[in-house]
Amino acid sequence: MPARKGKRTTGAPRQAAPRKAAAAVQPAARHRIRVTVNGRPCEAEVEARTLLVYFLRDVLGLTGTHVGCDTTSCGACTVLLNGEAVKSCTMFAVQADGAEILTVEGLAKDGELHPLQKAFWEDHGLQCGFCTPGMLMTAYAFLKENPHPSEEEIRIAISGNLCRCTGYMNIVKAIQHAAQEMAAR
Amino acid sequence: MAIGISIPRIDAEGKVTGRTPYPGDLDLPGQLYLKVKWAGRAPARIRRIDTSRAEALPGVVAVFTAKDVPVNEYGLIYFDQPVICGPGSKPGADVVRYEGDVVALVAAESEKIAAKAVERIEVEYEDLPGVYDPEEALRPGAPQVHPDYPGNLLCHYRIRQGDVEAAFREAAVIVEGTYRTPFQEHAYLQPEAGVAYIDEEGRITVVTAGQWVHEDRHQIAHALGLPEDRIRVIYAAIGGAFGGREDMSVQILLALAVWKLGRPVKIIWSREESIIGHHKRHPVTARVRWGADREGRLLAVEADVIADVGAYAYTSTKVLGNITMSLCGPYEVPNVRADIRGALTNNPPTGAMRGFGAPQALFIAETQMNKLAEALGMDPVEIRLKNVWREGSRMPTGGIVPEGVSIAEVVEACARAAGWRRTERGWVRPEAPSSPDPMKRYGWGFACGFKNIAYSFGFPEHSWARIELHGDAQVEKAIVFHAGADVGQGAHTAMVQMAAEALGVPLEKIELRASDTAFTESSGSSSASRMTFMAGNAIRGAAERALAAWRNEERPAVGEFTYRPVRTFPFDPETGFSERPNVTYGYVAEAVLVEVDIETGQVRPVKVICADDVGRAVHPINLRGQIEGGVVQAVGYAITENFLVQQGRILTRHFSTYLIPGIYDIPEEVESLILEHPDPLGPWGVRGMAEMPFLPLAPALIAAVHDATGVWFHAFPLTPDRVYAGLHPNRVPGGRAVHE
Repeated sequence: MPARKGKRTTGAPRQAAPRKAAAAVQPAARHRIRVTVNGRPCEAEVEARTLLVYFLRDVLGLTGTHVGCDTTSCGACTVLLNGEAVKSCTMFAVQADGAEILTVEGLAKDGELHPLQKAFWEDHGLQCGFCTPGMLMTAYAFLKENPHPSEEEIRIAISGNLCRCTGYMNIVKAIQHAAQEMAAR
Repeated sequence: MAIGISIPRIDAEGKVTGRTPYPGDLDLPGQLYLKVKWAGRAPARIRRIDTSRAEALPGVVAVFTAKDVPVNEYGLIYFDQPVICGPGSKPGADVVRYEGDVVALVAAESEKIAAKAVERIEVEYEDLPGVYDPEEALRPGAPQVHPDYPGNLLCHYRIRQGDVEAAFREAAVIVEGTYRTPFQEHAYLQPEAGVAYIDEEGRITVVTAGQWVHEDRHQIAHALGLPEDRIRVIYAAIGGAFGGREDMSVQILLALAVWKLGRPVKIIWSREESIIGHHKRHPVTARVRWGADREGRLLAVEADVIADVGAYAYTSTKVLGNITMSLCGPYEVPNVRADIRGALTNNPPTGAMRGFGAPQALFIAETQMNKLAEALGMDPVEIRLKNVWREGSRMPTGGIVPEGVSIAEVVEACARAAGWRRTERGWVRPEAPSSPDPMKRYGWGFACGFKNIAYSFGFPEHSWARIELHGDAQVEKAIVFHAGADVGQGAHTAMVQMAAEALGVPLEKIELRASDTAFTESSGSSSASRMTFMAGNAIRGAAERALAAWRNEERPAVGEFTYRPVRTFPFDPETGFSERPNVTYGYVAEAVLVEVDIETGQVRPVKVICADDVGRAVHPINLRGQIEGGVVQAVGYAITENFLVQQGRILTRHFSTYLIPGIYDIPEEVESLILEHPDPLGPWGVRGMAEMPFLPLAPALIAAVHDATGVWFHAFPLTPDRVYAGLHPNRVPGGRAVHE
């Protein structure tokens, strides 16, 4: 896969030549990527500079992944890339080529909410809810690695995600609660 | 019982699944993208603006400038800000006064093309002199920021009560101080966004996130010169507000574009645009002098306060009114002379933010109280309980404090929970822990406060609700119509609870239709800690009428009610007298334990105890969430959020430089004490509470730092460099100036 990426970056655009009048806005090279998003394979052409978050939101219509800051500070755009939590505003869609991506829309299975979603709902781990998808995805990746975390470990795990409403306390409680639920299963 | 229990939030499922659309998540077929050309500088007169190169770009549909706005002005209190600055509209609109003024608006087939077009707009500016310091702005001969406000003076409130000179002569102790409070940015996580279209009834329809749909509609209609019934405003999910969405941001721009073009339009601001494009909390400079007798009873307060209003009024006259009435804290003070002035500058405009002037005023008042206690060798809780309002007390502005005064109970409850003890010699503070690490010092601090619930100073205040009961023998469905915004605080969940309670029907039968001007009358804004109080009274009135119609066999049974609370009065311009400035109050006290690292200047809040009299808790867990969130936002205000503006230009334009608290910055523990002393005017006794937990944090924290280190800080945020310089003034060039 790296080879394919390398080839593409030097290649000429493969789309039809743009209209002459449009030359003012530089036609960008487009790249074909294949990704699996929430279990569904998909293929699309993207510009090299398209960020993963805009690919998810604008191309796939998965608007549950939010953009809060543009500087990798807030974590509202966090998704899972091959099981790892990443801030999708800080990588290009082409870097996700071949990857499995999980977004907040893919957390519920067969109409049943994931224990984290239930816990954020029941324990009031949200107010405005804008940071919630990012918090959920960060916590999801974290609990996969550490199913029995201490409060301190939870705090460390979500230290890259900002929330302006809750003061974080109920978010920590919700993650603790979800961990217990998941362990009991 | 439907109130007093913590039901699942009605909006939570959509938010945890990612299905709930925020304004930026909406797309409409055939939509155009809007992009703003910002002034990016200040101040200047626009001599000429050339949009031809932008318009020539393929995919650009229109470039709007000042001449395209029919009535080129907006503003919540005064219509003093051009929608778009430039020549060709009204006099004075050709001047940009701060970097966030809008110079042009591009509509294009894609966001990328719109952004490119913005770069191609050419603006010829003529430099104008600027003024960036509010005290300088008030001096004779200072550059005039705005033609509507001669001498750059937006407003001047005065309190003249009693004989201040005589009182100071009698005083056993006098404490003086000069205080400076910083800007604060709302930093709601969802940047401004929205879409607009023409709805099936031909209305210009704006879907966005704000705090008051009817006010948005009013301002859009004014700017477009159209009747209000041609405009519709709907709120999608709102990603936080904190006062920052009370004034217009994208609303009029969206409406203008869809009206001119007839095609759906969309706009999303980046974080940087959000920080440039909306107002901030007022920075304040205050010189104050307080006197007390030997027993600690307050005799006199003298204060000279100047607030930086920025380039336009926004809600500054009201915020400064709140500073005026909060400046003496929740205390009886017989002699007061105070001057509170708002100065225009070419800085970002300032306006509403959680607390609405009270955080600044109470920082000053509560620090003065703590310093008086120190000067008298008295405990900070003891001195407060000698001076707090009781039932029948008079405010410094002359009127009797509205019934339901509970500040003494709140102070006592908070003090006890923090470990204060009442002894024969009065209240005694708890011992702060000590650390084996000689560089770590601990200290306790205490402060309290109050916040008005609902609008003040004679501003028209009402809230509307309508309830329809459907069914035959039994109520099968109750539809509640209410315009109020749920900005994240859980207002809609509380409305459903209060409707179920008032109607005596199960929660699941309530259906709420909210935040759309098409089928509601005005309910006022989600601000001033008013929504639960006002909506509750409106819903209760509507429920009574609907139930009467139901008993009268009407199907559906409909009840409509507009709640109007008691009348409030403005201050007398000479004396500040107001019989009743506000509807009612909520009361709050906080005790803070801090750790100060004297080697690095790092201040860490260890524990915060926050006692709030909420009257009646409609939803206890949401309430605790508000307390924790308010405390943490105030920790940001007091420690981490260092909003920097240099010659009118914002330096902290991203979250990478403007540091809102992350989880490492928050207290280890926040203990919420919810007290329920019913408010006589509140529905089921409810008072508002959303702002209260914010108010005493900064002064309590600064008192705790003093307890730990012996140093008083008169300015904040307490960033490590400020604290280090304050603790070691001789090791830092200009060190003393940093904290004084």
